[in-house]
Amino acid sequence: MMKITVRILMMFVITLLAGNAMAAEKLQIDGSTTVGPIGDAFAEAFKDKVSITVSKTGSGDGAAALVEGRCDIAMMSRFMKDKEYKAAVNKDIYPVAHAIAMDGVCPIVHPSNPVKGLTSDQIRAIYKGEITNWKDLGGADRPIVMISRDTSSGTYETFHKLVMKKEKMTDSVEYVNSNPQAHARVKSTVGAIGYVGLGFLDRNVKALTIDGIKPSQSTISKGTFPVSRPLFLFTNGYPKLGSVVHAFCTFHLTEEGQEIIEDKGFVPVTDY
Amino acid sequence: MQTQLRQALNHLFTLSCGASVVLLVAALLLFLIPMLKKGAVAVLFRGTVEFRKMQAEQFDRGNEEALQKEIEQTAQSRQEIYAILDQFSRGIDTEKLTDEVKGLYRDYGDELRYKDTPKEQYTKLRSQAKIIRNHLLDAFESIDKTEINEYLDAVKVFEKGNSFSGTTVEKMFAVADGFQKTIQHVDLSRRGEYAEELSVVKEELYNLFGPRPEEKTPQLAMRRFGATRWDVAQKHLSFLLWQEKWVRSDDGQSMVSRKVRRDDPQYGSFSGTSLLPLFTLVEETLDISLKPRFTFYWQYFIDDSTPGHYFGGVGPEVLGTLMLTMLAMCFAVGPGVLSAAYLVEYAGDNLIVKIIRICINTLAGVPSIVYGLFGMAFFVTYVTRHPGILSAAMTLALLVLPVIIRASEEAIRAVPQTYREAAMGLGAGKFRSFITVTLPAAGPGILTGIILSLGRAAGETAPILFAGAAALAPIPDFGGKWWLQETRALSYGCYDITVGDKLAMMVPHKQFGMVMTLVMLVLCLNIVAIFVRSRMSKKLRGA
Repeated sequence: MMKITVRILMMFVITLLAGNAMAAEKLQIDGSTTVGPIGDAFAEAFKDKVSITVSKTGSGDGAAALVEGRCDIAMMSRFMKDKEYKAAVNKDIYPVAHAIAMDGVCPIVHPSNPVKGLTSDQIRAIYKGEITNWKDLGGADRPIVMISRDTSSGTYETFHKLVMKKEKMTDSVEYVNSNPQAHARVKSTVGAIGYVGLGFLDRNVKALTIDGIKPSQSTISKGTFPVSRPLFLFTNGYPKLGSVVHAFCTFHLTEEGQEIIEDKGFVPVTDY
Repeated sequence: MQTQLRQALNHLFTLSCGASVVLLVAALLLFLIPMLKKGAVAVLFRGTVEFRKMQAEQFDRGNEEALQKEIEQTAQSRQEIYAILDQFSRGIDTEKLTDEVKGLYRDYGDELRYKDTPKEQYTKLRSQAKIIRNHLLDAFESIDKTEINEYLDAVKVFEKGNSFSGTTVEKMFAVADGFQKTIQHVDLSRRGEYAEELSVVKEELYNLFGPRPEEKTPQLAMRRFGATRWDVAQKHLSFLLWQEKWVRSDDGQSMVSRKVRRDDPQYGSFSGTSLLPLFTLVEETLDISLKPRFTFYWQYFIDDSTPGHYFGGVGPEVLGTLMLTMLAMCFAVGPGVLSAAYLVEYAGDNLIVKIIRICINTLAGVPSIVYGLFGMAFFVTYVTRHPGILSAAMTLALLVLPVIIRASEEAIRAVPQTYREAAMGLGAGKFRSFITVTLPAAGPGILTGIILSLGRAAGETAPILFAGAAALAPIPDFGGKWWLQETRALSYGCYDITVGDKLAMMVPHKQFGMVMTLVMLVLCLNIVAIFVRSRMSKKLRGA
């Protein structure tokens, strides 16, 4: 009995080790859950050259990890805050930003909703609790269910800054923890409105236009879509030319990198 | 009277006990069965030829010859579908045609220069080619059939001139001919509408069959293959065949969904076009072009995965969870049992011991995220100086320590005093009687505590979130300092797969599969522990 168990375990370990090409260099990447999928996918492209660890603990932790030297590259869905930057400089770390992709935060509703677009003032009024029924916006007589991301996410911060103009949301807003959750909530609720990243748009939800502008690759990369944001990688100083970090941070400029970014539902910065 | 009341109460008690057991079992089944059933789909499913292609390319698995044969068999039926698609797209997707003609014009310029054509003739031929190109581009732009025919006729005039025979321009004439044929079947005024629908059709065909053989290989593994599973293929087939239209309902207020087949002769978006046969063809030949076969993908439990868990299995996660749990147990069991022994055997019943007991009980109730933060602030910052397996295991050990102490304490206390007295009567010291008599007798009880903590340690996400778990990490390199490397773990993977990527929405079976693996792993660990415990108690009873 014991022998068989040991043998099975050995087999298990050996199979795993066989599949693992031993890469010499190591790369530690930490940060935003939004940029995470790009980090993962870039890591797939680099897996033969270097062994990469990707942790997704949020933009704030990414910045902290870079300052504390816990990672080589920090993924962030927002720019570093003043405080974080000062903390970094005080520790002799000089963060350099590499904008690798663009993302749009798109308001979504249930596909049965006849409303096609809203102005940013209207969206703000909805989330402030001033408009509570779809009939005031040209829809059916149905109360609006507001879905928002949790206040610690970069998506919330972008929405809060660019749409809400930093005004407080009403108490009846329902907070969810992730993009897939927001999507699932809107998909299953007829009167719901929510917001997700561009990559999460699909046939189950309807994306609204903001001020008449449709969220799409071109409007987001040009910045005409009002809720667009760049996604960053931060390194300590500009990476040494020719190093793996350098290759990783400039990978978004190559054709392969752009293809990956598009496949992951983001917009390449070079898409004009 | 009193006897009857007592009997009734007894019956009531028995009944309620039985009912709660039934309720418990029902709740357990209600919880476990759907999860295991859905999770099993990750391992047992009908795999298509795309799945076998993926296995061959990503994991070097399967019989190459048989696979090649299968690919050839499927290629034919796919080719028929693509032929219909290409024929139709020629009239719709003018961008591609425009690029083609522009390219041909450029090639012709190169060709002339290469042949050292005299300058005068070069200018003449080149400008003529340019006229042809512009006529064609105008024709592609236009949506009026007579206008298009005029442009195309103007092109044909050059064809008769014979000055272009045997050159690249002939290819441009061929394009013109092809275009003339297609526009006869296409309602050009609806080109915009068609183009939009066509892009959906193309996307769904891609989802079914993957990139076409002549296309270049996509960067990401997830884009390299079509539908690897028959259930996924069925889903994409229905997306391909059925179009969901939202129309205003009769009361004019809300919208209702109407499903229309794309090739419906009356309402379908492609009615009356040459694309019509494509839909029934795909539907009828899908099992020929995908060759679904029942697959038992047991390697799911040992395979590495592509980022985002799109393909592959949970091998590194299983290994990581096993390592973390075992290591945590190694750290926790020793100190846990020893402190329990101290509390029962040596410590008196004074105030300090009471305070210690209260502290242990409180620790058992502290939320796990607090342990996680402590692990990051203490173990990662001061002990290992790097998040990794060691710091994560120590954090987990801390988490389960109170549970182990409490259970061991109870178990040791439950050993009859007479055992100890007998041991001492035979001349054994306090230490010796504890090691040889009390501890073995308390063994099964201590193991119960360990079983409880095993499941907890394997399933907790929060404590390892900052201390050493990563969404994507290489498999620990056992030749080097593996204890300082971060690892993947099932619990953290379950969390990551639900919140992280849009991919999770596309591969729900992987989500369920991972949860199922975690449940099974905990179950297996428990069964092993229970097995050990039963042998131990048998031995104690002297059997």
